[in-house]
Amino acid sequence: MPQDAAGTVGARMNPQVDSLIRAAQRGDQDAFEQLVRVYDQSVLRLAMNLLRSPEDARDVYQEAFLRVYRNLQTFRFDCSFHTWLYRIVTNICLDQLRKRKVRKEEAAVVETSEGPVDRMDLFEEEHAAADPERVTWNRQLGNRIESALGGLTPRERMVFELRHYQGLRLRAIGDILGTTEEAAKNCLFRATQKMRGVLGDFV
Amino acid sequence: MTCESALALIPLYHYGELTPEREDSLEAHLHECGSCSQAMDRQRALARALDRRELQPPSLLVEDCRADLMAAIQGGAAGGARPPSKGLWTLFLEALGGTFAGMGRMRQPLAAAALVGLGFFGARLTGTKAAANAGNAVQPAYTTVRSISTTGAGRVEIAVDDTSRRVVSGGLDDPAIQQLVLAGSREDNPAVRVESVDLLKGRAASGEVRDALLNALAHDANPAVRMKALEGLKALAGDAQVRQVLAQALIKDDNDVIRMQAVDLLVAQRDDSMVGVLQNLVQHEDNNYVRLKVAKALKEMNASVGTF
Repeated sequence: MPQDAAGTVGARMNPQVDSLIRAAQRGDQDAFEQLVRVYDQSVLRLAMNLLRSPEDARDVYQEAFLRVYRNLQTFRFDCSFHTWLYRIVTNICLDQLRKRKVRKEEAAVVETSEGPVDRMDLFEEEHAAADPERVTWNRQLGNRIESALGGLTPRERMVFELRHYQGLRLRAIGDILGTTEEAAKNCLFRATQKMRGVLGDFV
Repeated sequence: MTCESALALIPLYHYGELTPEREDSLEAHLHECGSCSQAMDRQRALARALDRRELQPPSLLVEDCRADLMAAIQGGAAGGARPPSKGLWTLFLEALGGTFAGMGRMRQPLAAAALVGLGFFGARLTGTKAAANAGNAVQPAYTTVRSISTTGAGRVEIAVDDTSRRVVSGGLDDPAIQQLVLAGSREDNPAVRVESVDLLKGRAASGEVRDALLNALAHDANPAVRMKALEGLKALAGDAQVRQVLAQALIKDDNDVIRMQAVDLLVAQRDDSMVGVLQNLVQHEDNNYVRLKVAKALKEMNASVGTF
């Protein structure tokens, strides 16, 4: 059996997915809902980690799956559904990242008395009564990581996110982003170089 | 292997993206070279630090997103009860037809449902056309239309974002261009929608275009878009589904110019199935032009103008 390009998510390894797609294409809403549930957590995770904002992640989720709903008829099984879905999702996320670059706006960062902080860190700290020294160090590292990631181009950021956090192979990432494995490789290399440059002695 | 080439391979090695041969030669180099071996350690430390910032979406957020999505698809309010068994298509037909009872109240949710409904089912009806374009690089599913402009001689230039930004151009007869213009008619940006519907209005003979125009007239928030859609539908004013959407516009559009044009198109031909709608309208209509037109049409159909 040919390995699904996406590898880890295993769209082709789940024999139910194809029949869910076909049923949804026939207008079966329950099948569509089940299909969404197969993929939606990883889509939301990608959007949350890329955009660092639950509201933006929510918007990405909604727009992506509505596009899937509206365009499911055009899906012809000539690539894996995972690849098709991720083309939609990555396009929407890239769009958001580009807009942020243009606006020079760090939606994910909030000002506090201790300087700018990733709002997701605040979100996590509410749940953890961690020791203050550790919190401070983590916050500094967190800020440094955010600025390292902020220095990447939207495309480098996307390749890095898909490889590091989503565990997709570079070949699959190339398919999703409409480029070659080699170009994805170069992007990943540039991304790690830039981050190491910014993080310096922190890691 | 030189240190320079080893350093270039370290990130790929870390992510398991090297061929076994290159992995072997890199490992041999790392074994011999202290500074490259330290670089490898830094790569691992970077990865660990990045791992710590990974977020998992809270389950509540996942549930909320699912509820929002299904509400948008089914036309209900977020978090509200889902209609038990009515399919989208049924909801859509109900929205277009029947007595129009409660249409004003339901306008927003139904608009959402019907918008999605047309996309979904419209595509089903014209699936073969979409298949013909499958090999083309432009796929409306993952394309955002930024702007549309005409460049003369029937050619259109469309700026799109998919995985990268680019401009495509071609004639409207090109199915890929037409798909993009159709996608443009559903964009958030009203300027893009106006331009798209304007280009589509001369091509209502195609089922897909007709659906897009009906959708725009029934549900677009922007009156300029609705107006252009109405112009495009003029040639199809005899079609039953088009007439239903025209009647809907006549009853509930808040723009008088659109309503005046809709009434002209509707009464231009005798249609007994419209008697109920017109009788109801003539009782409550504030716009003189519309009321007189409707009354005249009812008289021609020998239908009562008064209450009953």
